[in-house]
Amino acid sequence: MSEFAIGVRESAGVHVLDLKGYLDAHTTPLLEEAFKKLLAEKKYRIIVNCRDLNYISSAGLGVFMAFIEDVRAEEGDIKLSNMTVKVFNIFDLLGFPVLYDIVKDEQEAIAKFGA
Amino acid sequence: MNFRKIFYASGAALLLIVVFIMDAAMKNIDETGNGLMALRAGMMVASLSLMYLTVSQGKKREQHNIVQRIGRVAMFTGAFVGLYIVVSVLPLDGFQSRELRLIPIDYITILCATILSAAAGVLSILTIVNIREVLLFKRKRGTKRNFWLLIAAFLGAAASTYNLRPLESSNYREVLLFLAVGMIIVNSFRLSWIAYLTRREKIYTMLYSLLAFFAFMAIYVIMSEKEFLLKSLRYFSYPLQTVFQETALFGAIFFGMAFISTMFHLPTAEAFDRKRSEIVSFHSLSRLITQVFDFNDLAESVTRMTLEVCGASGAWLEILPSDIVSSRNISRDDIARIVEGSPNTVRSTVLASKTVLLVDDVANDRRTKYFAGIHKVASIAVVPLMTHDELIGILYVTKEMDHAFDQDDIEVLTGFADQVSIAIDNARLIKKSLEKERLQRELLLAQEMQKRLLPQTLPVFKNLDMKAVSAPALEVGGDYYDIIRLDENMISFVIGDVSGKGVGAAFYMAEVKGIFQSLSRIYPSPKEFLIKANEALITSIDKRSFISLMYSTLNVVTGEMHMARAGHCPMLLLSGGRAEFVKPAGMGLGLAGNHVFAGTVEEISLTLHKDDVCVFYTDGVTESRSAAGEEFGYDRLVSVVRDTSNRCAEDIKEEIIQRVWAYTDAQGYDDDLTVMVLKWNGPH
Repeated sequence: MSEFAIGVRESAGVHVLDLKGYLDAHTTPLLEEAFKKLLAEKKYRIIVNCRDLNYISSAGLGVFMAFIEDVRAEEGDIKLSNMTVKVFNIFDLLGFPVLYDIVKDEQEAIAKFGA
Repeated sequence: MNFRKIFYASGAALLLIVVFIMDAAMKNIDETGNGLMALRAGMMVASLSLMYLTVSQGKKREQHNIVQRIGRVAMFTGAFVGLYIVVSVLPLDGFQSRELRLIPIDYITILCATILSAAAGVLSILTIVNIREVLLFKRKRGTKRNFWLLIAAFLGAAASTYNLRPLESSNYREVLLFLAVGMIIVNSFRLSWIAYLTRREKIYTMLYSLLAFFAFMAIYVIMSEKEFLLKSLRYFSYPLQTVFQETALFGAIFFGMAFISTMFHLPTAEAFDRKRSEIVSFHSLSRLITQVFDFNDLAESVTRMTLEVCGASGAWLEILPSDIVSSRNISRDDIARIVEGSPNTVRSTVLASKTVLLVDDVANDRRTKYFAGIHKVASIAVVPLMTHDELIGILYVTKEMDHAFDQDDIEVLTGFADQVSIAIDNARLIKKSLEKERLQRELLLAQEMQKRLLPQTLPVFKNLDMKAVSAPALEVGGDYYDIIRLDENMISFVIGDVSGKGVGAAFYMAEVKGIFQSLSRIYPSPKEFLIKANEALITSIDKRSFISLMYSTLNVVTGEMHMARAGHCPMLLLSGGRAEFVKPAGMGLGLAGNHVFAGTVEEISLTLHKDDVCVFYTDGVTESRSAAGEEFGYDRLVSVVRDTSNRCAEDIKEEIIQRVWAYTDAQGYDDDLTVMVLKWNGPH
């Protein structure tokens, strides 16, 4: 039940993390590693594509909180895109839309980075 | 010297003095009576017995000092020869012989004869006792028997001379002497004890044996060539002379054999020493495996034994990933040069190959040129430590000579490395299980603490039926609920969920309880409470943690309710058959400072009607997943509450829990689960 996978790709100077499956207490270390790696490489323009993300637990949400400050301090951002309604509801319940740029799709996110 | 020894020795001496006085008194009397002869013989036997007791007293305690024993015999034998030389230069008149009898000419001859005989007695006993101890070390079947046969032959020969005149000879004596010589030879070939001596001990054994051999030979020769010694002893006691003669022969043959045999053993002594120290080291290491609780002790023992098993000059032990846990006779700087001094170190070679790497000549080998010239490191062996096909460490062994490692060393080292790996693995397992035990104790403590943070009982009201339950997923969870009475008619209650689980979550939960208990009395307005709570938490909470909370106040007389939400699951309200999720806006606590947070929080009010049901819960309820991965969700929650809404709060709460558990049956549930049900029985 803890099936989770992350793909990393680059698109127009922006790094995209594709999340897939269930992001919970057991799988968050994977996402944490992925973020750490990007930050170590000084990649601060990050899009997290949530198209295939089925579930995110509070531990999963915590990972975003852990890195957002550092990323924004370097004038980058973590933008979230392609969220399903279910996952958006979880983000929304906690008030994350106030803190994060949650956009419809990747193009929109890339466009925002460009601006 | 102990008291008993002195007592025995003085007894023996006293008896000899009496014998001497008797002899002196009867110097000129030809025939003595049988009774007197028997008395004299009896005193002599008693005196010798006391000498035996003196010699054997206390010896039992000094085990395995073979070299000392041989040394002692050599010393006494030499002393006897010296004594004889002293006596032989004295102006003595000696003996006259008449009818095979010996008659001393002067008193001083009697005295010398007595002294020499006493010394012969002591030396015989000392020699036999000490050879016995040497022979019985590492005894085999028959060793003891052969020795006692030898003694029997000695005593037999001696007994056969009891009635003989000093210069008389007898066939019995000759036959028994011949038998005794046979037993002497048999016993002298029992030399396996030599093998167990160390090289140093062997050298001493050789030296002492040679001395003893010459001394005994000298005695034997003197006895046959110089009449005075033979006559003195025969005059004093024919049996004693017989035993002494045999003893001298035994001593000469035994120590002669011992000398030759030790000499032949000497070239292999070093190899034998090494094998023995290997065995000892292996033995103590296997003992270590079962005993070591302290990893540092183990590491120290490993390097120490490494030096022992292969005569290395230096050694160190590295535990991967890269921890030098113990080193001997080599500096940290040198170690660093060897393991880090090049892109291709011996270390990286072994890491890749996982087999032993041996460099015979460090200075001229291209693999080790980078650290050539380190003092006392002319050859090096790098041995991997493996358990379950996993490389856990590396043992480095250096010698100060090039080409100093032979095939044996490498075999021993690999065998040793296997033992070390097991020992290290064991030590780690022990540490791990101790650690685990400690964590479990800690968790138990946290669990206990957390239980006490939740209300033990809920207050009872006329109009309000209220029940709650919380079941943590792990031993310690992050769910929290609480209730306090603000005044006679007002209560405030809270339900929350700290992100994460375990001990960390429990600590934040304790903090939330503190905030709730103190702030809710000061800021009864739900919105104000949450803003103040956020202010308190934002400074203390870890940036990746946050807390969702729903805070409400209720007038238990009127049913008027105020609530605000901070990121928490919405309240389910079932009123007049209509289900509604009440979800005032508001983000989680600890996510952002009040400049952001305050703007998001909304407070709403509502009034409860008769038979209304409010259900507060944590996401463990709605997000519990079935085996197929589907969530329990809001709809199922609504349907459970609908089905049970006409029952009491306890039943509703119980039904929700049971349904969630049944739903997640296959894999159990993996989140904390908290449910709080309010049923309004009041007016309206």
